[in-house]
Amino acid sequence: MNKDMEVTKRSENMVEKQQDLATVAPVVDIYENDEEILLHADMPGVTKDKISVNVDNGKLEISGVRNLQTKGAESWQEFDDIEYRRVFSVPQTIDVAKVNAELKDGTLKLHLPKAEVAKPRTIEIRTA
Amino acid sequence: MWTRMNEIDRMFSAMDLLRSINSDSSYGESSGWRVVGGFPKTNMYDNGDSFHVIAEVPGVSKENLNIRIQGNYLELSGTRKSDAPEGYKTHRVERNQSTFTRSFTLAADVDADKIQAVLKDGLLTLVLPKAESAKPKQITIN
Repeated sequence: MNKDMEVTKRSENMVEKQQDLATVAPVVDIYENDEEILLHADMPGVTKDKISVNVDNGKLEISGVRNLQTKGAESWQEFDDIEYRRVFSVPQTIDVAKVNAELKDGTLKLHLPKAEVAKPRTIEIRTA
Repeated sequence: MWTRMNEIDRMFSAMDLLRSINSDSSYGESSGWRVVGGFPKTNMYDNGDSFHVIAEVPGVSKENLNIRIQGNYLELSGTRKSDAPEGYKTHRVERNQSTFTRSFTLAADVDADKIQAVLKDGLLTLVLPKAESAKPKQITIN
């Protein structure tokens, strides 16, 4: 009932049946400090224009599609065209407007700044 | 009969779809994506007069990658350094840092001087032209 089924599946392209890309979750590292939450995700082979990052109602969804440019007869193939997709729950206190992302060497680095109200504050005690 | 099979197929793909939404299947976890030969994963293509090798090396910079070639022996090695930022508290670490080496015996000798290597978006692409003696030749019949 999963990708193992492919042996018995007729995978030819039929009008009503489209070939879906396999979906995997990218591996991620998540860090946090007082200012922001930082997420690093490995998405090798995904170009900048094929990545989407959505923050909506406490959910962060990252997804990216990889299209390999290949030619020639394959001798072996350990990876293929794929869709990376993963959904995270994020606190409502993320400042959505200031979220920014960079992509380098196949690693997506996502900065999720916290809203001012959510930042920790030190309360000074006055002597009366 | 085929129509019925297609119905079943469709049912399965609907289930696949549901499954892919619900499960966070990572590399290696689900059966379809088991790591075959370790890190980095590679694809190899034969183009007649050259080999194309693609390797998945996310987060590895050019300086941390080594490619060695001798005759038909190819070796990829490198280090994946931690990119953990300073002064942050760690919630989750799934991307492991490691040193890796993988070697291959190619089906034919390659011309070491004409190899091209490109690192882009975490994919290393190597074009390895076969040595003159190993290239396919057209034989004309007299």
